[in-house]
Amino acid sequence: VDRVRYVPFLTKTPMLEGLTTGSTFVLEQPRCVFDKYRNADIWLVVALENTTATFNNSVAPGTAERAFQNFPNRAPAYMTLNATLANYPCSEQRGNITVLRVGSETSCARDKERPTCNGPLPGPGPYQVKFLALEGSEPVAETFWSLPIMLRTAKSPNSISTTDGGHSAGMIALTTILSILFAILLAGLVAMFVFWGSDACGGSSTFSKPEAVSVRRYNTHHVYDQPAARL
Amino acid sequence: MCGIALTAECIYFVSDPHGLYPLLEATENNDIYAAAWIGIFVGFALFALSILGIIGIIKSDRTLLLVYIILMLITFAFEMASCITAATHRDFFTPNLFLKQMLEKYQKTEPANDNDKWMIEGVTKTWNKLMLQNHCCGVLGPSDWQEYTSAFRDTHNDADYPWPRQCCAMNAQGIPINLDGCKLGVPGYYNSNGCYDAISGPVNTHAWGVAWFGFAILCWTFCVLLGTMFYWSGIEY
Repeated sequence: VDRVRYVPFLTKTPMLEGLTTGSTFVLEQPRCVFDKYRNADIWLVVALENTTATFNNSVAPGTAERAFQNFPNRAPAYMTLNATLANYPCSEQRGNITVLRVGSETSCARDKERPTCNGPLPGPGPYQVKFLALEGSEPVAETFWSLPIMLRTAKSPNSISTTDGGHSAGMIALTTILSILFAILLAGLVAMFVFWGSDACGGSSTFSKPEAVSVRRYNTHHVYDQPAARL
Repeated sequence: MCGIALTAECIYFVSDPHGLYPLLEATENNDIYAAAWIGIFVGFALFALSILGIIGIIKSDRTLLLVYIILMLITFAFEMASCITAATHRDFFTPNLFLKQMLEKYQKTEPANDNDKWMIEGVTKTWNKLMLQNHCCGVLGPSDWQEYTSAFRDTHNDADYPWPRQCCAMNAQGIPINLDGCKLGVPGYYNSNGCYDAISGPVNTHAWGVAWFGFAILCWTFCVLLGTMFYWSGIEY
């Protein structure tokens, strides 16, 4: 079995939000890697990190030992995403993204008739993958194992704390000032009642009601007349 | 005049132009709306009382002015309560609050009781509308759906629905432009921003509007009342 100098890796460009999710991950397609093997079927092998050392290339895909549905308990690895060189052409195509989404087929995940299903991964991993080229049932080429791929684990929403918002400064200022104003007004009201009882204030006459009394002018003409009569 | 302005402003808030009320209802913390309702009535009361006050000053009638002062104080107290409520409850609305609510209620299929069912419907409809109209996803981003388990995740498996379909970029018919692109998270085919800004903007405006506008009116009312008290004590019998 030839060893091709290629390490499978997660897609780097473009930046994908769903590069790793809870049950899928996205690999870059192995372009310009298996050019010498025109008649081969290229398979993706997915295994748990601790079983890669004992992986046997000669076990055929589609058998129980390589069935997705038996992974990871009864099958140490599974093989999926069967392709030929035509699927991985070497020509550079701008504008297309060349990815393989591992775990995207949900319809066949429980279907024992489809052992090569690309089903969602059962746990967070860590997983290692490699590509294996078979001619007929003979392995002819393989890549290196990838670096361990860890998937995302989700926390429970109960772990979100919603009580750590303190009181903002604005709210404290608002409450304080309003309380002080209200207290002053109440004090003023009390003062009003106190002064209502007593007449100590006297009351400035500036606001008094306009008196509807007219002043009559006394005509003292008789006083002036008398001296004139004496003379 | 201030009374009319306050009434108008509070009516605007109560009419909920951004459609966010179900989210606030579901937090069981919708006192901000109570504060706005109080604001409407206080505004109306201020307006009515100001007419009374003006009549009292024209006639220089002690009793009338006394009634005016006491009623204004009561109204002042209500408005004060409304302002403080609005300001205090605004502080509750952190991203975490909305995140937890969204994760626990959005598209939940097993309501615990009738109250829960009505909250779930409100939250689901509001979030769907939010995500479609504002082109956003989750509270902080689509990663919210990956980092936490949720009621949505219970019924939608991770491989087919890393995030809800509403997070996908849609065409005019409301269908995702490219579903695979959306599921992969290819830039341009999904909404990468979080919706928190679209929520906190209106909620903040609402809360601060009720609180600070009410505060300004109360300061002005304070001056007017002090002046009235001095005037009252200067009126002769």
